[in-house]
Formats: sequence, structure tokens, C-alpha cells
Amino acid sequence: MLSMFILWIAVFLGIFFRKKWVPVLAIVSMIWTLVLLRLHMTDPIPLNF
Amino acid sequence: MSIVDRAETAFESRELVIARWINVLALFGLIGVLAGSLFLQFGVGEQPCPLCLVQRSGMIAIAVGPIMNLLWGMRPLHYALSILGAMVGGAGSVRQILLHIEPGDAGYGPAVFGLHLYTWALVTFAIAIAGCAFMLLWSKPFEVGDTGVAGERGFLRFVALVAIAWVTIDLLIVGISVVPECGLGMCPDNPDDISGLGGIGGVLMTLAVGAAAVVIAAIADRRLPSGEAAGS
Repeated sequence: MLSMFILWIAVFLGIFFRKKWVPVLAIVSMIWTLVLLRLHMTDPIPLNF
Repeated sequence: MSIVDRAETAFESRELVIARWINVLALFGLIGVLAGSLFLQFGVGEQPCPLCLVQRSGMIAIAVGPIMNLLWGMRPLHYALSILGAMVGGAGSVRQILLHIEPGDAGYGPAVFGLHLYTWALVTFAIAIAGCAFMLLWSKPFEVGDTGVAGERGFLRFVALVAIAWVTIDLLIVGISVVPECGLGMCPDNPDDISGLGGIGGVLMTLAVGAAAVVIAAIADRRLPSGEAAGS
């Protein structure tokens, strides 16, 4: 899960250096967060989306 | 420039300053939430679960919008990023609420004012989405060609820099603290508690992070250009 925060640190660095790719990397970081959330869904509970 | 044009420009500048302050306050709200979670981790000794880390990621995602608004200028795109970030964090919160929704389930971790932290996190994400939506209804701050606070010396810039530095330090602490708990892979479902710094130690750590943020902001404020602030 470290990768999630490395991506966010890269996003913050991009903001400080005014890089145009920041919005794209922010969305990639969010998608990666969702991927990690999905990978963690191992319990068979109702509404297990 | 006619007197009407000048009055209009001054009014628009004032609206921009109000919008900037709202963004700064939003950042301090997020700092409060992140500081609370770090207090629980390092003060009380409760290691965060994987879903807690997903929610922290969502909190950091929300902060991206206000930080970009303050450093790059007000843009609808920045609020959109915060909304998406809140939705991602909200997915983590909803998942954790569903895990403990059955009657008799004591929930995960301590309850604060009757609600567990993941429920409070969902409330925070919902407030963030509603707040961004309200800010998007207000079009004036987007129309003044804002380029951010970096070039405008003043109290607002300093406070904004403190908030930005504080969130960044919190992000670094959260990121680095994942390594001893989880290594490079997924974190354990129910991580073992660690021996915390205690209540006073946790408060002192939070204050130290705040003090570091003030020092970094003061250094950055000196190095940035000293232009005239909007609305002055």
C-alpha cells in the first residue's frame, strides 16, 4: 500500500513544480487506490461490490 | 478605467480572497482529521488497517483541489479532483461500514462521539463533496484570471503555505509509517497495536508537525516574490 502514498507524493511534487500532468496522475492515484481497495475485499459480506 | 469598472474589479478581488480563505479553512479541516488519525496511530498506538489507509488516501486526494486552487489559481478542475477523491475515500468508508453493519458487531477501533472513525470519515467525504459543489455554484472566483497566492505577499499567503506544508508533512508521515507496518505489499487486516507515545506524546508530536509546517512556510514565504495581494 506504500505505492498509493508514493503516487500522492509525486502528485504533490508535481503541484509544487507546476507540472501539467498533475490532474492525470491524481486520477491515476485515485484509480490505484480503488484497485487496492478491491484487492482487499476478501470477506464474503453482502453488497460486496 | 471607469469608476464602475474599478468597483467591479475590487468586488471580484474580494470574492477571490473569500474563496481562497474557504480553501485554506478546508485544508485545516483535513489537517484536523489527519492529525487525529496520526494521534491514534502514534499517541495511542493503534496501527491503521488497510481500509483506514484507503480513507487516508481519500483525505489526501481531497486536499489536492484546495492546494492547486491556492498555488495555481481557482479552477473548476481542481474542485472536480477533490470530488473524485472524496468519492474514492467514501468507497473505503462505505466498505468498512458494511463490514460492521450487522447488529451486535462492536465495530473496528474506538468510537468517537458515538461514531467509529470510518463513519466520521464518510461524513467528512460527504461534506467535502457538498462543499466543492457549492464552490462550483459560485462562478465569480473563476472569472478573475487567478494565478494563485504564490506571487502575492500577505497574511493569507503565509497561512495558506502553513496549511499546504502541514498537509505535505502529514502525507510524508503517513507514507513512511506504512513501511514498518506493511512493507511493500498489502497491510494485514488486523494489524498489531504498537506501544504509542501516550496522550501527551501524541499531542506534542502533532504540535511539532505544526511547528515544522510554520517554519517551512516562513522560509517559503521569504523566497516567494513580494507582489501586491488581491483585494488590497
